[in-house]
Formats: sequence, C-alpha cells, structure tokens
Amino acid sequence: MSRSPSRGANHEFAMPDFARAQLRRQRINFALFLGPALVLLAVFFVAPVIIDLVLAFTDMGRTLAVGKFTLENFERMVTRDTRLLGALGITFIFVVTTLGVFNVTFALLLALVTTAVPQRLGAFFRAVWLLPRMSPSVVYALLWLWVVDPNERGLLNQIVVHVFDMPPIDLRNNHPLLVIILANGFIGASLGMLIFTSAIRSIPEHLFHAARVDGAGSLAIVRHVTLPALRWPISYMTIHQSLSLLVSFEYILLITAGGPFYDTTVFSLYAYRRAFESGEYAYGAALSLILVVIGVVAALALWRLMDMKRLLQPPRIEVH
Amino acid sequence: MATEHAIAGGAPAARTDWQALARRTWRTRFTGQSALFAFLVVVSVPIILPYFWMVVIAFTARTGGVGSDVLWTACAVIVPAVLVYSLVHMSVAAKGLRLASGLILLAIAGTLLVALVGERLHLNNFRFLWRADFVEELRSKATSGAQFPSVWTAFFNSLALALSQTVIILTVASLAGYYISRFAFRGRNAFLQGLLVLHAFPAMTLIIPIFLMLYWIHLLDTIIGVMLVLAAIELPFYVFVMKGFFDGVPWDIEMSAMTDGATRRQAFRLIVLPQVRVGLIAVAVFAFIRAWEEYIFVRTFLIENTNWVMSLYLFWVADDVMGVDYGIVAAVAVFYVLPSLLLYVFCQKYLTQMTIGGIKG
Amino acid sequence: MDRKTVLCGIVAGAMLCISAASALAEDVVIKVWSRADRSGPLRAGNLVTAGDTLNKMLAAAGSDKRVKIDLNETNAKGYDDDALDLLKAFAVDKGPDIFVLAHEWTGAFVEAGYALNLEDHIGKNPEFYGDIIVPLWQSVSYKGARYGVPQDSEVRMYFLNNDKLRKLGKTDKDIAALPGKVDAGEFTAYDLCDLAGQAVQKGVVKYGILHRPNAGPDFQMLMESFGVVPYDKEAAKLQASKAALKDFFTWVKYCLDKKALSATNTTMSWDAIEQASFAREEALVLFHGVWRVTDQTKAWNLKGKDDYQRKITWINAPAGKKGGKPTNLSHPIAYAVSAKSKNKDLAAYIIALASQPIPNMRHAVTTNHTPINYGGQSMPEVVEKGWALVAATPMLKYASFMPNHPKIGQYNGIIFKGIQGVETGRLTAQAAADFVVDELSNELGKDVVIKN
Repeated sequence: MSRSPSRGANHEFAMPDFARAQLRRQRINFALFLGPALVLLAVFFVAPVIIDLVLAFTDMGRTLAVGKFTLENFERMVTRDTRLLGALGITFIFVVTTLGVFNVTFALLLALVTTAVPQRLGAFFRAVWLLPRMSPSVVYALLWLWVVDPNERGLLNQIVVHVFDMPPIDLRNNHPLLVIILANGFIGASLGMLIFTSAIRSIPEHLFHAARVDGAGSLAIVRHVTLPALRWPISYMTIHQSLSLLVSFEYILLITAGGPFYDTTVFSLYAYRRAFESGEYAYGAALSLILVVIGVVAALALWRLMDMKRLLQPPRIEVH
Repeated sequence: MATEHAIAGGAPAARTDWQALARRTWRTRFTGQSALFAFLVVVSVPIILPYFWMVVIAFTARTGGVGSDVLWTACAVIVPAVLVYSLVHMSVAAKGLRLASGLILLAIAGTLLVALVGERLHLNNFRFLWRADFVEELRSKATSGAQFPSVWTAFFNSLALALSQTVIILTVASLAGYYISRFAFRGRNAFLQGLLVLHAFPAMTLIIPIFLMLYWIHLLDTIIGVMLVLAAIELPFYVFVMKGFFDGVPWDIEMSAMTDGATRRQAFRLIVLPQVRVGLIAVAVFAFIRAWEEYIFVRTFLIENTNWVMSLYLFWVADDVMGVDYGIVAAVAVFYVLPSLLLYVFCQKYLTQMTIGGIKG
Repeated sequence: MDRKTVLCGIVAGAMLCISAASALAEDVVIKVWSRADRSGPLRAGNLVTAGDTLNKMLAAAGSDKRVKIDLNETNAKGYDDDALDLLKAFAVDKGPDIFVLAHEWTGAFVEAGYALNLEDHIGKNPEFYGDIIVPLWQSVSYKGARYGVPQDSEVRMYFLNNDKLRKLGKTDKDIAALPGKVDAGEFTAYDLCDLAGQAVQKGVVKYGILHRPNAGPDFQMLMESFGVVPYDKEAAKLQASKAALKDFFTWVKYCLDKKALSATNTTMSWDAIEQASFAREEALVLFHGVWRVTDQTKAWNLKGKDDYQRKITWINAPAGKKGGKPTNLSHPIAYAVSAKSKNKDLAAYIIALASQPIPNMRHAVTTNHTPINYGGQSMPEVVEKGWALVAATPMLKYASFMPNHPKIGQYNGIIFKGIQGVETGRLTAQAAADFVVDELSNELGKDVVIKN
C-alpha cells in the first residue's frame, strides 16, 4: 500500500513521504557534517587561492592597491629573474635529501628500533624524538642558533674545540644547507615515526611468531612481515612530507632567513622574500602560483605512482 | 634439564642443553638490545642536549655569561647514572631490585648535583614573570611606553587562541571525518584527493590573499581571524586523521543503535564519538600545540601590540637581548615550552595511536 | 527600598555619571606610530609631552576637550622594515594620525597617498617652524613640497679604538693626524682596510671593521667614495653605474681578503656588534653614527670630552682613491601626518609642539643626535652635555642626504644583499656588481637608470 503522493503537483514523479524525509535528512546531514569544513576551507583556503591566482596577473605592490592587470610578473620571471633557477635547485636538493634521509627513512628506522626494544624504553625515545615537533618553532629555531653559534659559546663548537681540539666551525655561514636539512629533518622524522609505529603495532602478533617458527631472523622478519604492512603508511608519508617540505619554510626563515645571501632560499621562501622584503606582493603571488603548479603536479604524480586510489575504501552502509 | 625427545628427525637424542641454549639466546638478545639502545641514545643526544642546555642556562646564567660548565658538570653526573641504571635494568629482571637500584642512583646523582652546581642555581632570570620592564632595566629605555607587554597578556592571548582553535578543529574535523568515513557521496574521491592536494598549496605564501580576505570580512587584527585561518590551514590533515579513527569503529555498533531507533546524528553523538575518544584527544593535543607555537600568521595578521602572543613575545625578547642575556631568553623559552611539553607528556599514549584514514593494509 | 530599586538606582546613577563624564571629557585621540628605537625613545615621547602641553593650554582656556596620544611602538628590525609594515597598516585602514619615519621614505608615502602635504601648515606657522635649520628641509621634501618635519639629524663616522691602535704601534701623534689625512685625501679607504687587516692579523683585535648588519644609510656614504651616486637629479630617477659598483665591490673584496671585514658581519645581531665593539673591544673600527657616543661613554665609563677623545678617534669615510674627497652622510628622522587622518590640523600642531627647542634638545642631548633648530645649537645644555654634537658638526661639511625617491628602500636593500654576497664569499666583485644591476632592473624596472 503506497502512501498518497506528496503535494506539489509540478514534480515529475511523486515521491513517497518517507523517501522525501530521507532525502531531506540526507541533505541536512550533508550540511551539518560536511558543511562547516566546506565553509572553512572555501573561505580561508580556496578563496585565497583564487585571489592569489588573480593577484599574480596584477601589479599589486606594497600599497596593496591593484593598478592594472598585466602579464609582467611572468615576463619578469622568465626573462629578468636570475635567482629563480637557483631557488628551484636548492628546493630540489632540500626536499629530496630531507625526505630521503630523515622524513621517511630515518622515521622508519626509528619506528622499527623503538618497537624492537622494550615498550617503555621505546616510548621514551619516541617522546624524545617528538620533542622538536612539540616545542614551539621559535624556541626550536633559537636552540639551533645557539647550538651552531660560530663563537666558542655554541654547543657544537664546545664539543669541536674541547673534544676534537679543532678550531671553531661556522656551520651557519659555511654549510647552511646542512643546517636546515638537519633542523627540518629532526622535525620531519617524528611524524613518520608516529604513524609507522602505530602501523607496526597493529600487525597481528601471530605473524611474527609464525615467521620466527619458520626460522626467520630479525632482518628477514622486517623485510617480509613488517615492511609490507607499512606500504600504505610509507606511501602516504612520502606524499604528505614531500608536499610539506616543498611548501614550508618557517624553520628556514627563523634559522637562516634564507641566507647567507640566497644559499638556503628554497622556492617558497623565495616567493615570501620577494613579497615581504620588498613589498612586491603581485610578483610573490605569481611565484607562489608556479609553486602551486609544481606541487599539484608532484602530488598527482606521486599519487599515481603509489597507487593511492586503493587506499580510499568505499564506506559501509548508506543510511541516513 | 635434558630431555629424551629431540625436536625433529628423531635420532637418539643428543641431550639438548637447554640452559646453554637459553644463555646463548639471552646473550644474543642482550647484545642486540644493547646495540639498539646505544643507537637510540646516540641519535637522541643531539636532541636532548640542547634542551637540557636551555634549561640549565635559564636557571644558572648571569648577565653577560653563558658558561657551559654547569651543563657539562651536570652531564658528567647524569649520564653515568643513566647508563648504570639502564645496565641494571637490562640485566636484572626483578622489579623490586630495579626500583631499589633506581632510587639509589637517583639519590647519589641528586646529592652530587646539588653539591656541585647547587649554588649556581637562581631564579633571577625568571623575573620577566613579575616585572614588565625587565628589558629596560637591563638596557636603556627604547620607548615611551613599555617596550613589551606583560608576559601574562601574551600568555593568555596564546591560551585563548590555542583553546578556541582546538575546539573549532575538533568539531569541524570530527563531523567531516565521520561523514566521509560513513557515507558515499558524489565527489567523495575527488574531495579526499583534494584534501591531500591542498597540502600542496603553500599556506605561507597565501598570506597576502588571506590578509586581504581577512580585511574584507573585517577580521584583520583580531585573534578570531588568526584562529579561523589556522583552523582552515590545518583542517585537511585532521580530517584524514579523524576519518582513520572513524574507519576503525565497527559499523555494528551504529547499526544496532539505529535499529533501536536512534537517528544517524544521535548514533554519531552518543555511540560513535565516545569510541574515537583517543582520536579526539590526539587531534586536540596536536591542534593545541600547533596553535601555541604559531608565529608567522600572528606576525602578519596582528597589527596592534596589545594582541601579542607568546611566540611573538619570545621572538622580540630574543631579538632584543640576544647575546646580552642568554639567561632571560632561555627563561622565557622554558616558560613558553612548558605548556606544550606538559600536554605532550601527559597525553603521549594517545598520540602514538594515530593512523591514517583507511589504511588497514 | 527593596534591592531591585537600589540596584536600578545605582546603575542609572552610574550611567549618568559615565555619560556626563564622557560629555565633559571629549577626548580627541591622536594615534602615533613609532618604531621602538633604543637610540630615540623621545621621538615618540616628545609627541606625548606635546599632547600634555596642549592639554594644559586647553584647560587654561576653560575648554573641556582633551587630546589623548595613543602610542603604537613597533618592534621592527629597522626603519625599512617598519616602513613596509606601516604601508600595510595604512592599506587596511589601520594607519595612525602621526608617524615617525626615516626621511628617505617620504617619497614612498607620498606616492602611496598617505603623507600629508605640510607646505601650507609650515608656511602659515613660522612661529613654530621658522628656526629649523634650512638644509634639513631638503630631507623631507618631495617634488618641491614638504611632507614632513625633520625630527633630528646626525653625523656618521668611523670610530677608531685608540687603545687598539696604540697596541698596534701607532703613536699618539699618528692617531691625532689621522682625521686630517682622511680629509686631505691622503688616507684612503684601502689604507683603512690595510690598517684594520693588520690589526686582525697581529691578533690585536678579532674584527677589523664592524658595520651595520642590515640595509641602511651608512652604505651610501661608503659607496660615494667610489663614485656610486644613487640619484640622477635630471632624470629624477635612481641610478647605478656598473663601473662604480665594480670599484666599490672590489674594495669590499679587498677588505675581506685582508680580514678587515668579516664574513659574519651581515648576520650578526645588533647586540653582538655592540658587545664586540664596546664591552669586549674586539673591533678596531665601528662604522656607525654619532649617537653611539652615549653607549660608548657608558661602556667604558668615560668622563667628558678629553677622556673620550683619548679613547676614540672619528674619521669621515675615506676617499676611494688618493686625492679624493672624504664623504659623510646625515640621516634625519622625520615626523609626518597621515593624509587620511581625521584630525590633520591637530596632528600637525602636535608635531609643531614636539619640534620646539626644549623637547628637541632633550632628545638631542640624551641620545646624541643633532638638534634641528639653529637656536638649539647654542643652548647651554647642548654646548655642555652635547659636546659630541658640537665636535661632530664640522664633519657635516662633507655630508649629503639620501634621495627621497619612492623606491630608495628597495635600492638600499639590494645594495646590502650585494655587500652580504661579497662578504660571505658567495660573490666576486664583478659578480656582485652584476647581481646588483640585475636585481635593480628586476625590482625597480623603469625607475632605475643603469649606466656603464
């Protein structure tokens, strides 16, 4: 016995009441659950991106006034900007090294080692390695500055001078790239370590026992039991961290300010410096547009490479 | 205890010396564990040492000096103590013995420390907590007002910013995470991919557009504006995290609740949410700590001095007295780090349970 | 009466009082933007005092209006950074009524429409402005009109540590003859680097010459000795000459090689430089300005002129070649009124009051800047306590101002980056000259003329 069709004769078909109710609930749920996130992201993320896109084609300078629409920013990038390629090169070295050495590899190593030692000891060392990420960036940068201080006061130089009996070294001036790779690496390793640790812990115990009974040594267990289970975390971390490294420059800004000269100015910092050191906001917007394109391309490429589509499981049951 | 039966192959049993076997295993295990432990110690020292140094400076430095002798003395006492304790811990299994040796070592180390460096400790570097003009009495006046606001103004501003931002993120991320986890909707894949890709957008270089946007909606130079911006920037990551936690909650619980007559929303609020308590705490801690340390956005979006937060406060104090008084800078830094540290230490076990949405192999 | 009525009564009474008070005390708020500068707290302070003076006059006239000065003192690293922040604040309608700026930014603020044309005001009030030293007006003029009021000026020089020179083996006679040799063109910039390098290599000092760690006016003076003139008056544009830049950077490289300049100078903090120059005496030469006398006197506990001159010698920036002229630079700070202000006249008069001889003298004497009024130069306090200012005045003979071109800030920034590149060893002299030319045409486009 179907219910009487709902009012509103200009509907193509008559929907029974309960279906209408469910549709309404569906829409309300959508608005209620996803609405806030969509609004927040739209206003403070998507809209600024669009504004940034538009800005790149204007001549906005330090007075924040738009004079005209022009392509001169891009023309300048291609013809007159001699720092650009250098910045790209530095970015590449920085991202690849930090990612390869610290954010993924070392994180994996830490996760493996801290789960191999007794529980509380492992937890302690994980806590230590989370400390850089948990402490405020200003404090962390300050500590780095004090550690690599070129005078004898610096912690590093204390060790170099008193233990190794060498003259004090000036890492900040002579090897600034090393300093920022280390500084960002310490921070980057911690997130991966966390994710990998929880993934390792969720591997069922019996797999390990079975492997041992079959005669596998520790290394073999790692290779055949642990690592396959970490495939998704590793892929996700690689994408996530490479994008993060491409885009963030907070620590670099605080520790070396992109210097000395332009030695540690990665591309994102380069755009920031152009915009804020000289008030050339439109040019900075154009530069960040290029960075966005690079980032999106890299993200999509890595996504394909790591077959992340399988990661997104379809949801369970659709009932509102 | 020898046994007659061999394990496999059944030849007349060579008496398997279990004790020797056990000893050998124990030895390999011991060397293996020690090697791992040594590795962990070596890589962790570069992190522990500077923080410890900062704390030492905060409590011992006098104007103009940052002697590291206190640091090395303290290390000379603490490091052997820790090593001895770890050796004891690894070789002895009895809990009581471990505890006893730990306490003895603690007592010895404590007494040594007090004897050697006790008189160098002082709280003078923390005077910024009760004197607003501490920079000016150290050096000359730079302004006609006070150069820095009271540290407590900055502290409470930071607190307000961090707490409200955490609440916003928790609410929005859990709502969104639940929906994505449970419902298929048109564009779900695109949305998730979009979230991941949003990371590619340089939040830092979106500063000028965000600045303009805040100006247009009249939220510039307000803590609310900074709060909303921060929440939006961090949202993609947290949505993924919450989705992961929701994915881990079995569907049966909701289904049984709904067959009992609850609506989806009620099921979410009353049944599912408590299940992801761990996730909520982890996200809350991360979000709080992230907002507590925020520096670049507050620097750009806050114009009046009265809106300072702790990151700006430390930055300007360090900028001003760097080199003259390491002690004050270190003390401010210690004060600033403390809330993050405490929060992290107490909620640590929740943080290690984070997973990425949907990854279950 | 029950509680409610009492409460209502109190609330009503309070509201009446508040509204009466606010009706009585109509405060006009004047917002002031100033950079927190240890070498000039009275720049903003004099404005506050001016407000008080005005209020006293208002009270005496029986008026109920009062003026309230609302200070915002920022922590920017330098005047250039502060100007950028201020431009941003203006752009979002958070600008002040009065602002303190480094004079060379006048052009930028005028072009952006934020600086008020004060010609009229100054012309109509000779009682306030008539005694201001005439050449100083040039520093706040742009396209023929005055947009600010000079707040102070100074002289810049090299400070040589006589004790260290003596350790190097120089006699008192040598030391006393040095300034004369510089002015005559016999002691060149290269000689200075030789001297400083010698001191470092012999271990007498750790740093030869220390200069500022950020962009600033000092370098213009330095470059002028080598023929780098930043402004082309006829074309009314900024300019750079490739050959002159190369000469300049060749000298910088020379000094670096001799260890007279140090690779870390551009990344040291102000504080580290001060510590090295004053308390720890690790530098032979400090390149900055006369207001440092205050710090030096305090650091070494010097009593008076003779004590000071026994310890420190001043010289102008030596010429680049033998027989050339030394150079000097004066860098006034100025007050300006916002063109967007709702209280333009009031703000202007506050500035006028703050520029009077007594407040100005207080700033001049306590921080060793030169007074802006002719009368100020002969005030007893200035003559007595400002002996440094009097002694420095003859050096103004070789002084020039920076041009007020709107893009001079960027110009200075690029020059500084070039110097940093050479000092940190990243650029050769030729590469630095090319870099500067590149960046100038990149950032300034048509506003700069590049000459060979």
